[in-house]
Amino acid sequence: MSIDWVTVLAQIANFLVLVWLLKRFLYKPILNGIDSREAEIAEQMSEAARAQQKAEAAEADFEAQKQQLLADQAALAERVREQAQQQRDALLAEAREKLEQERQDTQAHLARERERFTTELYKASAETLYQLAGRALHDLADERLEEHIALHVVSQLAPLSEELAAAADNAEEAVANTHAPLPEGARQEVKAALQARVPGLPLRFATDDSQSPGLVLRIGSIQLDWTVDGYTDELVGLLEERLASGESGRVHDHGG
Amino acid sequence: MQLTPDETTVFTLWGLGINETIVNTWIIMALLTGASILVTRRLRPDVPPNRWRTTLEVIVTGIQRQIEEISPQSSRHILYFSGTLFLFIALSNLLLVVPGFTPPTSSLSTTAALALSVLIAVPLFGITRQGIGGYLKTYIQPSVIMLPFNIISEFSRGISLAIRLYGNVMSGAVIAGILLGVAPFFFPVVMDVLGLLTGLIQAYIFAILATVYISSATAIVKKPENKEEDR
Repeated sequence: MSIDWVTVLAQIANFLVLVWLLKRFLYKPILNGIDSREAEIAEQMSEAARAQQKAEAAEADFEAQKQQLLADQAALAERVREQAQQQRDALLAEAREKLEQERQDTQAHLARERERFTTELYKASAETLYQLAGRALHDLADERLEEHIALHVVSQLAPLSEELAAAADNAEEAVANTHAPLPEGARQEVKAALQARVPGLPLRFATDDSQSPGLVLRIGSIQLDWTVDGYTDELVGLLEERLASGESGRVHDHGG
Repeated sequence: MQLTPDETTVFTLWGLGINETIVNTWIIMALLTGASILVTRRLRPDVPPNRWRTTLEVIVTGIQRQIEEISPQSSRHILYFSGTLFLFIALSNLLLVVPGFTPPTSSLSTTAALALSVLIAVPLFGITRQGIGGYLKTYIQPSVIMLPFNIISEFSRGISLAIRLYGNVMSGAVIAGILLGVAPFFFPVVMDVLGLLTGLIQAYIFAILATVYISSATAIVKKPENKEEDR
């Protein structure tokens, strides 16, 4: 075991050469490659980070737009709902108003129909009453009735003094027509009453079978009726008057 | 028994005998350099690394990581030096299994050359890092009394490195040779496997120790903090 110093020097030289060779062909290329790759990876990572930031910003923007869109959509839906509600309320109000109008029209129509029917009923009743009263009066009329009427005429002449006097100026006589001959007492009563109103005017009593029971007094151009037909006609007149005014009010009172 | 390949002269060049140690060293240098050139000749950043390049990257980065663990002030120069030490010694020891190939590391001249290289490199790295004054101050740390001991320590480092590497590699080769004569079928295989393991370990230890020495030489001695200056 010995050291050959020439070999030692040669090995030192060899080793230094090897260091240079490996530095030139191994370490530098490998380490530079690694460094460049790391730099490239770092660049790609930073690029990816930038892309990620951009994507996150885009995502945030998208989320904001989405939220805005949702809010707009909700507001729009709310507005549409309010408009629909208003439109529905308006339609309902219109429908209610129309229904109310139709109900009022129907009620008015029913009221009119009821009034018309009532009027017709009254008219029919009045007609029937008139017919029944007339028939009853005709059936019940006799000499005594006419006497009573004549006596009644006597009491009714007082307010007509002026008309009678005016009619008597152009008349020659007064004629009292009855359905049956008046008793003498009644004739005297009538005559006395007429003379008291129209002095000097002669009075003639006559009978007419076709005339309704009662007394018809003719002086010139005027004629005063106190007959059963006259009473029934007055009844009809009263009924019609009542139907035209008072009865309609009574119908409303009942209906209201 | 031939204990060292220095004694075998392969050829003579300009009157100078080229022994087997130098030739085998050239072979190892050619293998390392050739493999490096083959792998790194078409190295481009845009081309993905292939398996050979990845292998070299793993080896280089592994060495670099080991150096960084030892030396906080690691630089590429330390990597060039210690890495080359490791690769040269490791490949030399691995080629022990090749029949007829005598590893250069089994020559005391080679290990002494490597130890001398470390011995020279340590002050060079220290001076490069700290300057001449700064480096020489390390010899009188912690006091001037320690100067002879530090000098002895420096030399004993180189000697121990050389002897350790030579002893391990040469002993492995010698033991393998002896066992080959005693039991030629089974034990030499086991010893060769063991020799590969111890060879790699020796390469690792040699490189690590060299790195530690360089690291200790390049470590800057921090001055006590001056509070007035800080203000």
